[in-house]
Amino acid sequence: MNEKDVTRRDFLKLITNGLLTLSGLLGLGGIFRFLTYQTDPSPPTEFDLGPTTNYPDGSRTVLPRVPAVLLHTKDGYSALSLVCTHLGCTVNEDDSDGYVCPCHTSRFSANGSVVRGPADRPLRALRVEEHDDGRLWLYTA
Amino acid sequence: MRPNFFHHLHPPSIPAEQSRFRYTLGAGGLGIFLSLVLLVTGALEMFFYIPSPEQAALSVQTLTYLVPYGGLIRNLHYWAAQALVVVTVVHLLRVIFTGSFVPPRRFNYLLGLGLLALILFLDFTGYALRWDEGVRWALVAGTNLLKTIPSLGKSLYGLVVGGSTLGAATLIRFYSWHVFGLTLAVVILGIWHAFRVRRDGGIAAPPPKQRTNNARISRFELVRREVLAMLLSAAALFVLAALLPAPIAAPIQAASDSLGEARAPWFFLWIQQLLRLGNPFWMGVAIPLIALTTFAALPYLFETLPTDQQGHWFPRAGRGAQAIAAGIVLAWLVLTILESLR
Repeated sequence: MNEKDVTRRDFLKLITNGLLTLSGLLGLGGIFRFLTYQTDPSPPTEFDLGPTTNYPDGSRTVLPRVPAVLLHTKDGYSALSLVCTHLGCTVNEDDSDGYVCPCHTSRFSANGSVVRGPADRPLRALRVEEHDDGRLWLYTA
Repeated sequence: MRPNFFHHLHPPSIPAEQSRFRYTLGAGGLGIFLSLVLLVTGALEMFFYIPSPEQAALSVQTLTYLVPYGGLIRNLHYWAAQALVVVTVVHLLRVIFTGSFVPPRRFNYLLGLGLLALILFLDFTGYALRWDEGVRWALVAGTNLLKTIPSLGKSLYGLVVGGSTLGAATLIRFYSWHVFGLTLAVVILGIWHAFRVRRDGGIAAPPPKQRTNNARISRFELVRREVLAMLLSAAALFVLAALLPAPIAAPIQAASDSLGEARAPWFFLWIQQLLRLGNPFWMGVAIPLIALTTFAALPYLFETLPTDQQGHWFPRAGRGAQAIAAGIVLAWLVLTILESLR
């Protein structure tokens, strides 16, 4: 481009518009940071489930406040998250030992694998630990 | 006489042919009337509603069952909001089917589309304010949908929800958007939308020489018809409010067993149906955005309409736009019906 093509007026206009855009973007960034501040604490990721004696061998316990289901088999304790992997609704137990989501009817088998979509990932297996004091802890993180 | 906004909206006379109910369907005017009903009833509801997770659903129950006329006011607000969605879509279809969206009315058409989007957000935030078991899962699914948006999703979720999970911060945000942010935007865009009608040459009609009927109606006749339409729709609202109460449910329990089937609000049933079919981002975010963008693109794809075809239903030159709009609305209806029949 020929240097003569840019007049003083064009140049000033460009600078003005550029500065206005920049300050607008900075303002938006500020509003974004302002609005994304998290006031409430994150929900707990560790749950004290009480003494292991509450969960005898062969038991299957729904823990609605997690939400999850705790299984005690001869292989030990295991837990399955009841949060649907599609859009996060809490799944219900269905008639055939599996789970069904009330939002978009995804179906999961008893071990959490997908039987019918739209969910495309199995229910999450959660970590369960038996502490030395005989209490059971569940971790969702 | 000193010019004022009322006279700006009501010219001394307008073409008789294009001011008939069967041309306008009264939809734009009804939209303004319903918005006014919503502003008044909404302002009254604010005297009792408490936007905190512990008290929201209970304060809605207090308003509905204890406050004198509270149930009536809430039902009027509910039915006016549902009617506004219907009337806005009817107005959009009327404008497309009469070819009234081409320049010089293109900008106003886009303002109208913006208003439709805002009204849907207002309906959803208002629905969520119940904060009871009836809205719980729609709220969970609706907000989690934001997380599926590639790269932007997580921060958009934080922006809307105000945390890593639904809670007090979410409710106060929805409340602020509902009673202030979105409402302010609708009021400003709505006034602008009405103002632009006259600026763009009044209601779409062929130029005087190409009219088959050159009769006009006076400002007084126009106002008379508007008042009549308002009275009739107010009566209809009162009948609906008296006979069919707005939905209400038990307060959300921190960890309750969920119910059998969760339902989206009726105006989003089509999205719930789509979400059953596949990838949540495509079904729940991309397709609705594509539909909205298609509507916005219509006045650019079909830019001109011969003057003699303006001001009539289904002008020949506008067939393409009519087919696209009818297709989208038909798909929307079919999906809604499929979901509501489940």
